[in-house]
Amino acid sequence: MLENEPSICEEKNYNELFRKFYEPATKYIYYKCGNLQRAEDIVQNVFIKLWKLCATVSFSKAKSYIYTASNNSFLNEVAHEKVVLKHQKATTENTDHESPDFLIEVEEFRVKLKAAINTLNGKEREVFLMSRVENKTYREIAEITGVTVKAIERRMSKALKELRAILGKEIKI
Amino acid sequence: MMKKYETDDSFLGRWIAGELSEEERIAFEKTDVYKQFDIINKEAQLLDGPEIDVESALKTVKEKLATKPKKNKVIKLWRSISVAAIVIFSTGIFLTSSKTYTTGIGESQTITLADGSTVNLNANSSLSHKRFFWSSNKSVELKGEAYFTITKGDDFNVATSKGVVAVLGTEFNIKDRSDFELKCYEGKVQFTQNNKAKDTFILTKGMQVAITQNATKEATFTEEIPTWKKGVSTFAQQPLAEVLEELSIYFNITFDASSVDTKRLFSGSFYHTDMNTALKATLLPMGIKYTQTGKTIVLSE
Repeated sequence: MLENEPSICEEKNYNELFRKFYEPATKYIYYKCGNLQRAEDIVQNVFIKLWKLCATVSFSKAKSYIYTASNNSFLNEVAHEKVVLKHQKATTENTDHESPDFLIEVEEFRVKLKAAINTLNGKEREVFLMSRVENKTYREIAEITGVTVKAIERRMSKALKELRAILGKEIKI
Repeated sequence: MMKKYETDDSFLGRWIAGELSEEERIAFEKTDVYKQFDIINKEAQLLDGPEIDVESALKTVKEKLATKPKKNKVIKLWRSISVAAIVIFSTGIFLTSSKTYTTGIGESQTITLADGSTVNLNANSSLSHKRFFWSSNKSVELKGEAYFTITKGDDFNVATSKGVVAVLGTEFNIKDRSDFELKCYEGKVQFTQNNKAKDTFILTKGMQVAITQNATKEATFTEEIPTWKKGVSTFAQQPLAEVLEELSIYFNITFDASSVDTKRLFSGSFYHTDMNTALKATLLPMGIKYTQTGKTIVLSE
């Protein structure tokens, strides 16, 4: 550990890490397991462990520790369970000008889109959602999941291809 | 012709990230599937992630951390308790461990107990008692046969497979092999048969109790000391099986009695000094022939 790094054992620094990484880590796990309560429990326990290990984890390594430990306990606990994601209702602000008929179709399409996303395999789904919903760059996603940017590109491509295969016929051109 | 998005496995990923070349992008936007991908992408971007209250989560974690140390203390306390328990338990095992004396075939041993009582352990027998605190609860366990000379004093118990013999300063012989025999040579002995609480016998000098095949018989005898102590085994109307068992206790032999009736009764005795004499003394009067093969004596009528 570098001596000039802030210590996680100081509450101020610990709180900073929590406020920075709790939400993205929880979403990351949520996109894997589809259970928000579960995701929050997993990440909270990781933070509890981080406090106990505050002397051995350096501040700069904390981010990778949080994501890796969260993923590990997800794999231990819930990887085998069936995933059901519940998205918040999508915003409809930009559809104001559209006809009521089209709105109904859009609403139906969104339901189908969510269902299709749920059928993706976990690795593709987490990449797709972190990119599209969380607006994370591939570099950031690569850092969180611990794979290369190239692999993220491939997963993203695969996810899109699969979604189109399922939803293509729903989209009238 | 295959479309580039199908052949290049990073194409769509690069499109989403805006990393396609101008050329690639324009070509892609002209394809008929582009509109579908575009709608999927735009609609997906309208989805919201879960709402997460970071501050309340931080509060929860702080609360959990505040209660953790207590838990640790409990764990440490449990550790100390279990260590203490192990120490006490193993000391307990040591303190309740027993001392055992064993004799082999043809051997005998005289044991002097802590209270001055002596036990003459006959061949192929064992006697065990608690190693510590024995004097506060004088109890020994016997397998086989032994002659007890008990110093007057506290209660003294001998546990056998057939029951408990309780005594007050006395001399008696217990034989607990396939059959059971208790003979009182001095003083008073009380015998309580296992599983038969009512079957309590009080024996005084010259009285005996014998259990043969679950039949309990009381009788009297006249000898002053057990004959085995003089190196003799005596039998009065006892089945051949008992005689054979007794012979194999003093001599390192086994019997094949499959072709003889071992329920026939025998009266007589044999000396423990010489096997051939002993075999002659017991088997010939009963008209039983015998041949020796190694350590096995085969009997025939």
